[in-house]
Amino acid sequence: MELYGKMAATQDNKQKESSDQNFDYMFKLLIIGNSSVGKTSFLFRYADDTFTSAFVSTVGIDFKVKTVYKSDKRIKLQIWDTAGQERYRTITTAYYRGAMGFILMYDITNEESFAAVQDWATQIKTYSWDNAQVILAGNKCDMDEERIVSVDSGRLLAEQLGFEYFETSAKDNINVKQTFERLVDIICDKMSDTLEADPAVSTGTPTTRLSDNTTPPQQSDCSC
Amino acid sequence: MNQKYLQYEDKTSIFRTLWAKPSKTSSADLIHLFSDCIRAASSRTKEYLLFRDPENKFHPSPSTLSEIFLMTYVQHSSLLNLSDTFNCTAMTHEQRILLGAHWVWAVLDQPSKNPRIQIAVHVFHLPERTEDNLEDLSLDIYSDIMRMAGMAVVERTQAERMVEFCSSIGRDCYALFLFFGRQSDEGNIYGLLSNNLQAAVGKCVRIDQVFIDHFFKGAKCFATSSGMMQTLVGKEGDDPLTMLVKFT
Repeated sequence: MELYGKMAATQDNKQKESSDQNFDYMFKLLIIGNSSVGKTSFLFRYADDTFTSAFVSTVGIDFKVKTVYKSDKRIKLQIWDTAGQERYRTITTAYYRGAMGFILMYDITNEESFAAVQDWATQIKTYSWDNAQVILAGNKCDMDEERIVSVDSGRLLAEQLGFEYFETSAKDNINVKQTFERLVDIICDKMSDTLEADPAVSTGTPTTRLSDNTTPPQQSDCSC
Repeated sequence: MNQKYLQYEDKTSIFRTLWAKPSKTSSADLIHLFSDCIRAASSRTKEYLLFRDPENKFHPSPSTLSEIFLMTYVQHSSLLNLSDTFNCTAMTHEQRILLGAHWVWAVLDQPSKNPRIQIAVHVFHLPERTEDNLEDLSLDIYSDIMRMAGMAVVERTQAERMVEFCSSIGRDCYALFLFFGRQSDEGNIYGLLSNNLQAAVGKCVRIDQVFIDHFFKGAKCFATSSGMMQTLVGKEGDDPLTMLVKFT
């Protein structure tokens, strides 16, 4: 009974956070990449600071909400965890629309997941919008003994694709928070650049590329 | 064809047991083990469906009943080592809202462990057990999430969301609507399994508990859980399939 009460309270809190309207900006982020590269573990580490080595393949799509603070502004992150398996591609790509940032993840011990990065980048181009920011994350860097993809290969590919690059470990909590923080930073920078380039944006006119139909209105006047 | 295969399997079961590799589960084993797990889960749940507090104060909630079913299923599935070939994924709170499913069963291909057949399950409870505005509440939360994600909000019931989810995957993903008791038979568990309900979405019908319950009107024959699984495992091609199942 006590346990049930606690579980119910936790669920209520989570529900409150996901529907809480008290924020200055809202960013929609997606984590994508091949199956079993560690997307869900990465999100759990960031949102709940937990990790389990048991592999549970994500069914379809899921999300978590986390609020961060930057320059005294509350930024609500709606982070979508996508299934990597091909059979879910229809449903997952539907959620690319309106995303402001992507974490494109591969597993440094899995060559196939690295080879698929180019395809995932193409998916972003196809289903998302031009201003979406992307960070390439080489996950499982705690497993250096089983490494197949070198740091240099990862960095080089990121450069070619125009993405920033991190090596991460959800297990050992390496660069998890930093990856999200950097993604938020570059989204904010991009928005500021657009504001400077188009002063009409600051008056809230709907001409800005950042407030076109694909993004929620809360994001249109971001200047964090 | 499938039946013949099963008969052959029965005759050779002793040899199969002696020489089989422990990690491999044949289709016949899968059907048998799944049926065992379902039987255990359904029987346990039935006890609670039939429970009546003499003082009429305590009523197990719908979520409790679903958890009893799932916990019993998972416990048996784990004991029988079924989860390597037929896994069960309970949806998170967010997934229940987005996809309309409470859990998803999957027959896994070996060695890739990719799903070959999936069954997304949504549980319906007797109206007197459920809150009146549950469907509206789910739609409100769903709309909020979609709006926040900058996506179009299409008013869909939980059942419709699950049907759409299944159809987005393909004909090898089935929607299974479980009824934990029906008005005419409160103690038994029934189900409608289909990979073809998408045809009705958006066609002036609302796919919900009432709509799905209509499938049972006048029905006299029901498949068993093993019959259901046998049909799914033996099915070839993308033909539509709809069947009524009695689990208890």
